[in-house]
Amino acid sequence: MQPPGEETLVERARRGDLAAFEALVLAYQSLAFRAAFVIAGDAADAEEAAQDAFVKAHRALGRFRRGEPFRPWLLTIVANEARNRRRTRGRRAGLALRAAAEPQATAEDPEEAALATERRERLLTAVERLRDDDRDILACRYFLELSEDETAAALGIARGTVKSRAHRALARLQEELR
Amino acid sequence: MTELELELRDLAARLDLPPAPSLAGAVRARLARRRRRRRVLVLALATCVAALAVALVVPGSRASLLRFFHLRGASVTLVDRLPQLTPRRSLGTPIPFGKVPFRLLLPSGQRPERVYAGDGGYWLRYPGLLLFEYESAAGATILKKAAAGTDVEYVRVRGEPGIWIGARHALYLPGGPPRVAGRVLIWQHRLLTLRLEAAVGRERALAIARSVR
Repeated sequence: MQPPGEETLVERARRGDLAAFEALVLAYQSLAFRAAFVIAGDAADAEEAAQDAFVKAHRALGRFRRGEPFRPWLLTIVANEARNRRRTRGRRAGLALRAAAEPQATAEDPEEAALATERRERLLTAVERLRDDDRDILACRYFLELSEDETAAALGIARGTVKSRAHRALARLQEELR
Repeated sequence: MTELELELRDLAARLDLPPAPSLAGAVRARLARRRRRRRVLVLALATCVAALAVALVVPGSRASLLRFFHLRGASVTLVDRLPQLTPRRSLGTPIPFGKVPFRLLLPSGQRPERVYAGDGGYWLRYPGLLLFEYESAAGATILKKAAAGTDVEYVRVRGEPGIWIGARHALYLPGGPPRVAGRVLIWQHRLLTLRLEAAVGRERALAIARSVR
């Protein structure tokens, strides 16, 4: 969902209103950071990537097409920055599960809870073993819950390719889990 | 949605994602700086053209203008803001002095307290001084980022190029996160690149560097 007045904010930012651009940063900084983190796998790199992406987006506002949604356009820049850092680093720290689950109001059976955690750890390990492009598409679709359009924009691929790539990545993940 | 897709969605909710930092302040500051810079650039266009012409002729000026310093095996970039830094982890595996496959260069010929193998080279620990030696000819490169305004300059050590960094900065060793580093002198010596870190001034660091043999 787009925050209200986004088009106006973009238009004002294009005309040089820094406060309007700051409102856009506030609206999207969390998404930008999370997207950069799942791609780069490192908090410092993700922060730097997200920050650089906003600065580059501001510089490129003149090329932003009026009336288009801002979110996928920004995601393209963020994902590019995060991938560049991952490439430079040559190695990506893996994602991890939160250390301890908060005590639940509806207490799970301890054994079941342990088994569920083990299953999740196995799944995450399998995701981390995938190739970068397979992991990226799964992260966009399921971890960040991006739409197909947004995923296509973030990964720089055609919208029609998203479904087939995600399908292929899921099949490879299934293989890893065997 | 298949079971696997549902499991991935469930996993997303349990990922250990660091809290998103507030970026607005830093972005605003960078944009404001950029805007100020642009104004200055417009006003001083003629001067810049002349400076650029000079910079393209003199390699030292070119590097500082581009805010980029480079040696074989080491690069230093000046950035607006340092990344988040982690303290130094261990220096690597302690090894006997004689096990290093090339001849280590020693300040004033003195043996270090300890030698560690790690980060694609060898760390030599002396009281109050850390020396890192690696074969830069093999393609290994360390990267450094220093905040704009930090004292960074090209120097010469016995006729070979070096870089002096006079303040705290970020050090990237191959494959690791950025770490905090203090005052550092990096210089080339034939096929080796050496990195000296100590709480001493530029002249003292250069004197130690010149004493290695």
